[in-house]
Amino acid sequence: MKTTYKAVLIALVTTLAAMTVHAHHSFAMFDRTTEVVKTGTVQRWAFNNPHSWLYVNVTNEDGTQTLWSFESASPTQLIGRGITGKSFEPDATVTVMFCPLRDGRAGGGIGWVMLADGKYFSTADGGCNGSDENIARWKDWMKLGYRSNKDAQAAGAK
Amino acid sequence: MKFAKHPIWIGVGLVALGIGSMVAMAQQGAFGGGYGPPLKVVPPPRTFVTSDEHYAYLLKRAHDGTKHTLDSVPQWDGFWVTAGNTHMAAFIDTGNLGGKVIDGVLTPAYEAAFKERWRQQTEQGQVDYDRLGECQPPGMPRFLLEPYSHEFINLPNESYLINDFGPSIRRVLIGKQHSNLYGTHSWYGDTIGFWNGAQLVMSTKYLYPADFTRWSPMTSNQFESIETWELKRYPGGIERLEVQATFYDKHAFVKPVNVVYAFRHATDLQKADYRVTHWECEQTNNTYLDDKGKSNFHLPGEAGFNDGRGLTHFPELPGQSRDPIYNTTLTPGAK
Repeated sequence: MKTTYKAVLIALVTTLAAMTVHAHHSFAMFDRTTEVVKTGTVQRWAFNNPHSWLYVNVTNEDGTQTLWSFESASPTQLIGRGITGKSFEPDATVTVMFCPLRDGRAGGGIGWVMLADGKYFSTADGGCNGSDENIARWKDWMKLGYRSNKDAQAAGAK
Repeated sequence: MKFAKHPIWIGVGLVALGIGSMVAMAQQGAFGGGYGPPLKVVPPPRTFVTSDEHYAYLLKRAHDGTKHTLDSVPQWDGFWVTAGNTHMAAFIDTGNLGGKVIDGVLTPAYEAAFKERWRQQTEQGQVDYDRLGECQPPGMPRFLLEPYSHEFINLPNESYLINDFGPSIRRVLIGKQHSNLYGTHSWYGDTIGFWNGAQLVMSTKYLYPADFTRWSPMTSNQFESIETWELKRYPGGIERLEVQATFYDKHAFVKPVNVVYAFRHATDLQKADYRVTHWECEQTNNTYLDDKGKSNFHLPGEAGFNDGRGLTHFPELPGQSRDPIYNTTLTPGAK
């Protein structure tokens, strides 16, 4: 069994190494093995260089709100994907998949964003996986009620 | 045993994903590779000790170069993006992230420094720190592989090589000699060049210490380059701007390093009616180096946070918001 877990660890490291994407900073602050989904309302979509940021108010279980900060790719990269500075309007309801900051603060690297009408946008840079394949996987997971990849994987969801 | 649940199958899946991604890297996919035929390095006709010697040889061979006019100078209009390069193959045995540092290409000090970067990259999946996180310009040679949009403007006596990242502008003075009135070095140094028909041959000197990327070797203040830029056309309507480069660095390299870089038309940006805006890094950047030597962020409400869309230093005046269309404010813990 020890060998098995070693194989998993090596695979994880190999995968992460291969996921290097260019940006103006390292992505060492994100836990890219963890993917989490949160829904809230847009406070600001800062479509700025060198990275765009999506700020989202998320209501906690106790009724309080937390402002979550999600880093995204640069405008130059996003415009090529059909995303502009008007894609996420203030007060719009959005669902965000992100890889959280390792230190536990309310932030992370964005994988994708879903609007209330069900339209998905891959706003990822290198901080989290926003590929079409991952969006498709998450569509299935969310139908099953999962909000974290680890919960989904632990339950054996594909 | 359920396949999906068992760790070994998760491992196998991840290895498959990793290999898939690495294949892309081997094709220089992370920098737009795979567009057109494989890139091939064309080494210089012979070995040179210095970039000055190399440049003088090429200039003499071109009979002091082609004197272009506005009508004849090659036009490389429009937006361009990177279309691959071979620089990793100069330093990594497999040419991609699955490989090992090639011994003896870099001097011992620079090789040791690179091996530490490479250890972080391979073991953690990320290098802890990138100097661009402090809003330092890409500089040379990093200019050649940075993504984002590039523009190349050729005039008879000068060329402008522009990347919106930074923003970065390299000015190539045609038919001039190197000059350094500042008495120091800089991010893009001094670049002179000449035309050899449709080829733009360039010499760059007086550069700051920099790097190729955060997961690539560092360069010293003695880094110099000889580049030959040429628009190549291939079957299928493929146009690729190719840059054959020889890098000299007596502190970093055991011998000169030969690499090829490429750019292609940014058709997606042009289709989107893209405009280049000023790079706002100093105003918007919230990356910092923490006490563990790792990059991290200041978030809204924390000391040190830059509100790139907030108010200027003159909030009492009307119209001082940098967010005039939406007028949003960031309020952590809104309720």
